[in-house]
Formats: sequence, structure tokens, C-alpha cells
Amino acid sequence: MRRWIARLSNNQKLGGVALLLGAVATLARVGPRRLVTVDAKELLTRIEREEDHVRPAELATWIIEGRADYRLIDIRDPAAFAAYHIPGAECLPLSQVADGALGRDERIILYGDGGIHAAHAWMVLAGMGYTKVYTLREGLDAWKEDVLFPTLPANPTAEERAHGERAAQIARHFGGAVRVAGAGPASGEVAPPPALPAPAVVAPTLPVGATATSPVKKKREGC
Amino acid sequence: MEPLVSDVPSAPPAEAEGHPGPQPYANPYLAGIGLGLVLLAAFVLVGRGLGASGAFNSTVAWMSSKVAPDYARSNEFLASYLTGEDHPLKAWLVFEVLGVAAGALLSGLLAHRISVSVERGPRISVAGRLALAFLGGAMMAFGAAFARGCTSGQALTGGSLLNLGSWIFMLAVFAGAYAVAWVVRREWR
Amino acid sequence: MSAPFYKLGYFGDEVSLIIAFVLGVGFGFFLERAGFGSAKKLVAQFYLRDLAVFKVMFSAIVTAMLGVTYLAWIGYLDLSLVYLVPTFWTAQLVGGLILGAGFVIGGYCPGTSIASTATGRVDGLVYVAGFAVGTLGYALAWPLVEGLYTAGAIGPTTLPAALGVGRGLIVFGVVVIAVAGFAGATWIERAMAARDAAAAGRLAKGGS
Repeated sequence: MRRWIARLSNNQKLGGVALLLGAVATLARVGPRRLVTVDAKELLTRIEREEDHVRPAELATWIIEGRADYRLIDIRDPAAFAAYHIPGAECLPLSQVADGALGRDERIILYGDGGIHAAHAWMVLAGMGYTKVYTLREGLDAWKEDVLFPTLPANPTAEERAHGERAAQIARHFGGAVRVAGAGPASGEVAPPPALPAPAVVAPTLPVGATATSPVKKKREGC
Repeated sequence: MEPLVSDVPSAPPAEAEGHPGPQPYANPYLAGIGLGLVLLAAFVLVGRGLGASGAFNSTVAWMSSKVAPDYARSNEFLASYLTGEDHPLKAWLVFEVLGVAAGALLSGLLAHRISVSVERGPRISVAGRLALAFLGGAMMAFGAAFARGCTSGQALTGGSLLNLGSWIFMLAVFAGAYAVAWVVRREWR
Repeated sequence: MSAPFYKLGYFGDEVSLIIAFVLGVGFGFFLERAGFGSAKKLVAQFYLRDLAVFKVMFSAIVTAMLGVTYLAWIGYLDLSLVYLVPTFWTAQLVGGLILGAGFVIGGYCPGTSIASTATGRVDGLVYVAGFAVGTLGYALAWPLVEGLYTAGAIGPTTLPAALGVGRGLIVFGVVVIAVAGFAGATWIERAMAARDAAAAGRLAKGGS
């Protein structure tokens, strides 16, 4: 056997090595990895420095401004998504978040009903190396509270009134309305929030492997 | 035993007296492995492959923007290379192609294969060869534009990434070339 | 996953351009090493005298393909971040036929024409000019060519996905085809060389 190998030309040896490597390659799996390594200190520091979330008011401004450099991901189930979702959001249920539909170089904002599931998803993605992933702080609950149905004080100062006007404009833009504190039932409670507006535009469910609409500056990568 | 140096044809025509002759070409398998490693480095470093035709597109688009800026902006093909804040020549492929020239020059110098000459077969004139070089280049510009690349961008890059379109392209290139080879045999043999 | 470095933000655009140049140097170097700065060497492929084009191309493809597969397998390279040109099979089929025909007429492809010009070949330079003019012509003919340009669009597609076969199996298949091709190429070259020698011998006997 050894003599036979010795009698092969160098080119033939190269061919043999290639065939060997090719044969081993039949076992290869190249999909996204399932095991995640978390750099605890780094992630916790990011969270402490509040670099892990955006506030509903910020997101509302971005949507109104028409910014297209991020992807808004709704991690709830499709039925909840269909009932209501923030304009521009894509439906990607929590269990599928790490399956590879999200590019690691994209800016991603996750939201759920509250903040907890989105925070879990954030931890997983951050552990996978996503550097531009954020959660919507306190999710849809905060979106309703701060953006859709902001509560204004009953006797606003001038400054509060101006702020209230802006909040009212934003709320109207998204199909909501302001509430005035104390206008609800007795004992100072605020009335339960009105029904959510029907989604004006139904964003398509995220197909696996699709890429989001490109941001303004798209680099050519062809030949 | 197969020699390490490729046999047929192994070396370019001999140089004039007094100059060190041109070295034989390298083993094609080794050169190919080298090329493959450069391509792999591109994937690992930048997340894209090599190319060439795109640099021509950028350059032609830039030249048109200087000569006829309004037309260039209205032409969909050219305008796609003129968007964005960066200068059209500040493109990845343009820098890469400049490197290709430098690398080829370096290899040619080391192997004493630099010579101002015209590659042609024995039965065609210089003028005829140059005319066909121009024509072939123009044809390939169309081919590369349709295919979104040439042999380096599509065949090498896409081939190694198992890109379906690239493999279709590669097979078509060989088919097209073999089909026409007999027709233009006078140019080379 | 630590790669591709640029896509993960390890360095910016300017550095990426410098890297483009360096990679280009490697590219041009090996092209010229193989003799691809010479149109005669390149075109010999299509007359079955010298199949170096096939050998170099497929050695490169196999090398890079195995490298990518192994690096992705160990989780070092994130394949989803490596750009895959979308497939337009009709446009690419027609484009390939045109490119192939032009190849054997012009004697170069865009990359090798640069290598050729850099080593002094005048026909390489003329080819470059022709290619540039052809590119301009394509732009001018855009309304006519746009239809074919977008024909057969099926998005970024890999062979494993299209054939419904595992990636590893396709990789092995490509290696087998390449190595078999190399063996076949050697055989063809020897057979043609023998044929040429016999023909030359007959010519010599007939002439004298």
C-alpha cells in the first residue's frame, strides 16, 4: 500500500487528498448553530448601560420619519400579530428567532406583549454575536401606554400642554388617542385603554431566507 | 511519473539573446490551489468573492458621468453605479482589479515573462488579431452583463459557493467557446 | 462565528478596499503564474491541446469550496453572511454562451485581460478597450436588453437547494467530477499531442 502511494505522482497525491476531504465533507452541516456561548460580563454591561433597548417614543419617531435602516420583529404568534402589530413589523415567532432569518449585520428591534420574552430573545441573539439587536422596552404594553394612548394630566402646564399636543399627534398617527387622567371612573383610576386600532397595513409574514428592504446606502456586492 | 511542471505547452516563446529566458508556467493545480486560497480569504475577510467585470462597469459609468452626466443619470444601467455618496471608482472591484494588474506584473517580472507583444497564431496578422481581440472583448461585455459576472466572479466565486446560476453559466461558457472554436481556428493555429 | 470579519464589523470600508487590492494582487499573481496572461495558453483549452483553464478553475473551485464547507462546519464562517449572487438562469445561460464565444474570439476574459495587459500584451490592452466599449454599448442598449437581463429570476439559489440533496454530498460530487476531469484532461492532452506529432511527422515525410 505504502509503495503504491509512493509511486503516485504529486498531482495524483493532491487529487487523492481532495477526494478524501470531499468524502469527509459529506458529513458537514453548515446551518446556523444551536449552541450559544454567552459572554456574561459583556452582555450584562450592555444591559446596564441601556444599550439593549429602545423606548416606544423613539420607535414612534423613527416610524414617522420613515427610517428604513432597521427591522422591527414581532415575536408573538401569528394570530396576535394579525390582530394588531406595530406598523412595519414582521412576524417571527419567538421559537424561530434563531433559525437564521435575521442577518447578523442588521439592526433589529424585538418586541412582544411585555418585555420578558423579547429580552430572552435578545439574550440569545446577543450571545450569537448580533451587535445591533435591541428590544422595545416593555413591549406592546409600553407602546400602548406611551404612544397609542398616552395619558395627559388633567390640568396641564404650558409645557405639559405642548408635550401633550405632540403626543396627541403621534397617537393619532398610529390610530390611537390621548386619555386625560381623572376622566375615568371614581377613585382616580384611569379608564381601561380603548380597543386597539385594526392594523392599517398588514405587513407580510417573514418568509424564511428573505432579506429585508435594503437601507438607503446599499453596497454593490456582485462581480 | 508525471513531471511537476505542466507539459503542454509549458513555456512561452523564448526571449531575445542576452535576456534570461521566460520561466515555464507553474503547475496548474498548484496555481489553482493558490487562487482558491485567495478566494477563500476573500470569503473569510470580506464576505464576498472576487470579480472583474464589475470594475469595468464602474469605470465606464464614471467616464460617462464626466462626459455626459445627464444621460448617465438617466440610464438605468449606468445610474446604478453612480448612486450613493461615494465616488464610483471607490468600489471594491476597482481596487481589486488594480491589485490584479499589480500581482500579474509581479509574477511576470519574477518569471521574466514581461514582453510587449501580440499573442496570436501563425496564420493571422497583428491587425487581424487586434480586431478580434476588440470584438471578443465587446462580446464578452454583453455576456458578463447578462450573467452578472465573468469567469472570476461567477464561475470561480459562485462555483465554489455552489450557486446554481453560476454553474449554469460556467457550463454555458465552455459550451459557447467549444462551439465557436473551430470557426476561429485560423486566429490561433 | 467569527467570519466574515467585515460583515461582523471588525473593520470598516476603507480597510476593506485595501484588502480588495491585496486580494487582487494574489489573484493576478496566480493567474500569471498559470500563464493566463497569454491568450494562446488560455485558448488552447478550447482546442483540447492544453486544458490548464479547466485544471486551474476547478482546482480553485474545489479548494475554496472545501475551505468554505469546513470553516462553516466548525462554526467559524457564517455562510449566510457571504454574498450569493441571485440566479437569473435564462440571462446567465445566454450570457454564458455569449461569453464563451467571445472568449475564444477575444482570447481573454476580463480578469486575465488585466493580467495580460500588465505583462505587456498589446492584444490584452485592445481587449480591455473592447470590453469597455462593449459595456458602454450594453448600457446604451439597455431598453432592449433589460428584458433578457431579468429573465429566469429565481433568487439566490444553491445547488443543494435546487437539487434537494445535502450540501456535503454535492461538495463530494464536485470533487469527484473535478478529479475525474483532471484525469480525463491529462489523457486528452496526451492523445492530442500524439495526434499532432503524427500529423507533423506525416507532413515532414510528405514535404521532403
